[in-house]
Amino acid sequence: MPLEFANLEWIHPGLVLILGAWVIPLLGGGLKRFAMLLVPAVALAVCLGMTPGIYGEVSFLGQDLVFGRVDRLSLVFSYVFSIMAFLGMVYALHVKDDAQHVTALTYAGGALGVTLAGDFLSLYVFWELMAISSALLVFQRREPAAVAAGFRYLLVHVVGGLILLAGIVLHASQSPDGSLDFARMDPFAEGMGWGPALILVAFLLNAAVPPLGAWLPDAYPEASVTGAIFMTAFTTKSAVYALIRGFPGTELLIWLGAFMAVYGVVYAVLENDARRLLAYHIISQVGYMVCGVGMGTELAINGASAHAFAHILYKSLLFMGAGAVLQMTGLRKLSDMGGLYKTMPFTLGLYMIGAFAISAVPLFSGFVSKSMVVSAAGEEHLELIFLLLTLASAGTFLHTGLKLPYYMFFGKDSGVRGQEPPANMLVAMGLAAAACILIGVLPGLLYDHLPNDVAYHPYTLHHITSTLGMLGFTAMGFFLLLKHLDPEPKISLDVDWIYRKAAAPLRIMAEGPLAHLESGFVGEIYEFVMRRPVLGAAGLLRKLDMHVVDNAIVAVGWLIQAFSQILKISVTGNAQHYGLIMAAGVLVLLALAMVAL
Amino acid sequence: MSFLERQLEDPVRFARIKRWFYRCLAAVVVAEIVVLVMLALDRIFPASNLGEKFHVGDPHVLFEWIPAWGSLYGLASCWLIIVVSKFLGKKWLMRREDYYDLLDG
Repeated sequence: MPLEFANLEWIHPGLVLILGAWVIPLLGGGLKRFAMLLVPAVALAVCLGMTPGIYGEVSFLGQDLVFGRVDRLSLVFSYVFSIMAFLGMVYALHVKDDAQHVTALTYAGGALGVTLAGDFLSLYVFWELMAISSALLVFQRREPAAVAAGFRYLLVHVVGGLILLAGIVLHASQSPDGSLDFARMDPFAEGMGWGPALILVAFLLNAAVPPLGAWLPDAYPEASVTGAIFMTAFTTKSAVYALIRGFPGTELLIWLGAFMAVYGVVYAVLENDARRLLAYHIISQVGYMVCGVGMGTELAINGASAHAFAHILYKSLLFMGAGAVLQMTGLRKLSDMGGLYKTMPFTLGLYMIGAFAISAVPLFSGFVSKSMVVSAAGEEHLELIFLLLTLASAGTFLHTGLKLPYYMFFGKDSGVRGQEPPANMLVAMGLAAAACILIGVLPGLLYDHLPNDVAYHPYTLHHITSTLGMLGFTAMGFFLLLKHLDPEPKISLDVDWIYRKAAAPLRIMAEGPLAHLESGFVGEIYEFVMRRPVLGAAGLLRKLDMHVVDNAIVAVGWLIQAFSQILKISVTGNAQHYGLIMAAGVLVLLALAMVAL
Repeated sequence: MSFLERQLEDPVRFARIKRWFYRCLAAVVVAEIVVLVMLALDRIFPASNLGEKFHVGDPHVLFEWIPAWGSLYGLASCWLIIVVSKFLGKKWLMRREDYYDLLDG
């Protein structure tokens, strides 16, 4: 039997989202909004109810697939993914576009699927589901720029998916029993071949690690206001989860992560688009997580997981704030904004909570999560990494905590007067803000769920004072250098330049010489192999049709005409004739009857 | 006029905020140095148990022993990030906003 189900009593929370999403278009009014909240709430409840173990084992074509590997690591990621699905739906409650809701929930379901996948085949299925559904979220803003960015995003992720598939196939072919178990791998070990290396590349692409990460700041700011909230949460953080699962302690990741943390900050200095600035800070923040995965110590892995958890919440809050401004004013460039604090004070306040959280201000969530990674670097005596991560931390406060709110809400008054966004958007922001503060004040709530049992105390006098010093003097530097920071209406080149601009000669070649070659060579072949034989055969068929079929039909027509001529003679319309024929008939019958008797 | 507007738009009040900002910065620097002294005392006199009593913490990297390290490094980072990024941007990365559109046009 190719398909065998076991443990049917286990419900996959991702499936709850993916199937539940289709209920939403069937309902209307208040019932629809209720379903929009109920579906992610049920998924969250399912996640909270899960206990460690192996569930959803399916035997398929001789492979054992595991859809539900539940342990401390997958649990903590599944919690935050389902919380995020709920917050995102609250934020999108006013949106009338059902397609966006279905896509967003499918995307979140895909992320849960990746998190719980115990083997590479089921991982791959959900990985691709995420790629397609998130690309749809970009398309669904339905503007030319969004559609173009959506295609670029989709192409990059299709390539990433193919690399992953190639890696999985190679890895499975080299493992002794052809097993597809998704477990720890070492891409640099002797005799491991290309499999794990390709899988690592695919994971790094989704984690937006430079030079494979330009798709992120290209696509996220083009998504719809509500769609972008979902996008900030799932793709990069599910890739971080996959890295923790597959490649902890891979030294390359330490350096990539630290580089990434600084790289995002550098681009954020230059950026003028509010949501693109925040997108570069996703790259920067994911850098801390990648770095933690690379160090691979128990504290570092805990730090990467905790930072992913905290990051999803505060980054969604920041995107919600920038999205609210975009929705209410139609403005996305910092150089056009200014003075909005007068009419959007709640949005400002909630945004600032997210900004303090990402900047690791004490009593906010980033402080208790980011410091774990930085401390792990200190414990491992990686001085340069420690310096780079601390520098990126100052840069984060500089942009998300100072530059963006300064130019968006204060600064030169642009005269634009946006109103506060709809209540549901503010509620979603309020919930995310509450979570940021709760984790910051009571870090034990998060620490209890981390994968490793390590004691860590973020609130030491030394840590608090040095953090405050760093943040305070970053702020002073900001105000001193303010005139150099004015946002410029420019864009910055990133690696996407390669496929957006450098590929132009390729396109010109495709349009010119290649097109000629196509019409010359391929066209000639087509002419001789296809067109002429087909036309010849068609000519023959036409002759057959004209001479045989047509004549046959004409002949039938003639026959019918002749027959009807004969019939016409008998049908005179005269009653006497009919009577005569009837009488003759009766006589003939009588004669027959007499002969027979 | 809201509370925030009054604070920001009145030059006298704004100057007062600025003064308080600088006072806070000075206080943070002093606090950093005090904590460093406590750490040093804890190392010199382990019997005092200062570190544990006040949750002072434990610097892992050598340069964290520089007085007011956080403040100094914060200011240096801020300056470095702005100068280096702007240099890279001006010399290399920044382009006109329609840079990519020109290709399609």
